[in-house]
Amino acid sequence: MIDVLTSYTFLIVAIGTVILAFACGIVGTVSVIKGQSLIGDAIGHATFPGIIFAFMLVGVMETYTLALGAVIFGIFAFFTIQIITDSSKVTLDSALALILSSFFGLGMALKSYVQGHPGFSGTQGIDDYIFGQAAYMLRTDVYLIIIASVISLLLFMLFYSHIKIYVFDPIFSKSVGVNTGLMNFMILSMTIVLIAVGLKAVGAILIVNLLIAPGVIGLLWSNRFPMVLIIAGFSGAVSAFTGTYVSTVYAGFATGPSIILAMSILVLLSMVFGSKGLLHTHRKRNQGVVS
Amino acid sequence: MTRNIIEVSDLSVAYAHNPVIWHINLAVKANSRTAVVGPNGAGKSTLIKSIMNLNKPLSGKVEINGKKPKHALKNIAYVPQKGEVNWDFPTTVLDVVLMGRYVHKGWFKRMNKADVAAAMDALSTMKMEAFKDRQISELSGGQRQRVFLARAICHDADFYIMDEPLQGIDITTEKLIIDTIKALQAKGKSFLVVHHNLDTVEEYFDHVIILNKSVIAQGTIEEAWKKENIDKAYDDRSVTT
Ligand SMILES: Nc1ncnc2c1ncn2[C@@H]1O[C@H](COP(=O)(O)OP(=O)(O)OP(=O)(O)O)[C@@H](O)[C@H]1O
Ligand SMILES: [Mg+2]
Repeated sequence: MIDVLTSYTFLIVAIGTVILAFACGIVGTVSVIKGQSLIGDAIGHATFPGIIFAFMLVGVMETYTLALGAVIFGIFAFFTIQIITDSSKVTLDSALALILSSFFGLGMALKSYVQGHPGFSGTQGIDDYIFGQAAYMLRTDVYLIIIASVISLLLFMLFYSHIKIYVFDPIFSKSVGVNTGLMNFMILSMTIVLIAVGLKAVGAILIVNLLIAPGVIGLLWSNRFPMVLIIAGFSGAVSAFTGTYVSTVYAGFATGPSIILAMSILVLLSMVFGSKGLLHTHRKRNQGVVS
Repeated sequence: MTRNIIEVSDLSVAYAHNPVIWHINLAVKANSRTAVVGPNGAGKSTLIKSIMNLNKPLSGKVEINGKKPKHALKNIAYVPQKGEVNWDFPTTVLDVVLMGRYVHKGWFKRMNKADVAAAMDALSTMKMEAFKDRQISELSGGQRQRVFLARAICHDADFYIMDEPLQGIDITTEKLIIDTIKALQAKGKSFLVVHHNLDTVEEYFDHVIILNKSVIAQGTIEEAWKKENIDKAYDDRSVTT
């Protein structure tokens, strides 16, 4: 089992998932703080039919085409949510639930059709996009992940101060010259693109966990934004490595669930032991120093 | 004291086609402490946001020091009305005050010792040094307000725009804020402050703008702060919607 660690294929795949989780952790923390975690969930599910449409159009499982299909459906879902909430009395959480389930339902229907249709071949691979199967990741899948993650991280670093002020105090940020529309657009595009490239590794159902759980962990340990981001990035990375390892060594374990399991253990530990976690607040309360 | 720091001409603003303020003409004198008063929904915050270039007016023009607001932002420190910030954001008091430095430093430079010293100065002016490492969500309402004032001071602008800085705070903090405003005025700064308590207008300000959808009266306290003007603004019958 140890030789897995030195196997070339494993290393390539692990590098991909680790970098992906690191970037998702950092970008996703913004949604966590803005209280918009479920938007990522809806978009994640909504990308699934995009994958299948893209496959139906070109007839082969080609990395870039499928990712493009996912991005297009992610954007489509986002704007549908906007239109629903802006033009009707439907609340945001209902709109999110509606879009999440109806898009994913569409995806499942398309999947059955495609897999039952003799005209399409190699359709088994579609299943990998539901729960993620890092072991079947191709070199190009990994390259795409690395490109998207590195670009997201660089943009995030470049606009770090803008993002920070924008998320904390949008009106003030506008008054000091931050282009709030651009910031919003940038965060959203990064989220959609990271979801799209990460689908094969983690799957449409669970990808939201990669965006949300790290931020939750970070917030349980620190009350300083840069520190929260770093903790988020690294807890994502550690979970991704563990999950990828487990799913490579034990056949039958999908990668997505394995990563999410590792992440959930970290969340649980942080909830109990974190400096803002249960034990700590409990102790503070007993000492009567809760502020 | 005759130069105008702000000139607003024929400004009208609407939200979704409902006009909120119309044909506003006003001037704010340099080095003044100008209050904006008017009933709830009179359009005070809307006016302030137009001056700060935060919304799109239907018509009219705002000039700050003879320039478009967009090009004068460096010179304005803005204190938002309560409740417009994300209180769950993980940040400390000192960090918030440091945000006031960005306009001077440019966005891509790191904060240095001088910036921190300026922020600590501002905090001590607002008597908040002891709280510098506290997370902002763990402050009381009045303490939060002091932190935002400190950020504005740290911004070191020539012109301060504040939307109800005295809302929901105790008398000690209120006095502290007003004394700070007066001290800064003595250093040549100007103030435009939305204010609700009619009893303290004369004591705290030297100029006043009385607003209710349009400008009812403006000028020095002597010129404009008259019973008939106040009655006109607060008379229920004149208030539509
Ligand atoms: N974003 C918005 N969309 C639609 N209408 C708005 C919006 N903001 C304000 N309004 C409306 O515009 C009018 C003026 O609002 P504004 O906030 O400027 O009043 P104000 O004088 O600051 O009141 P207050 O004393 O309560 O702070 C109100 O009738 C309000 O309902
Ligand atoms: Mg207001």
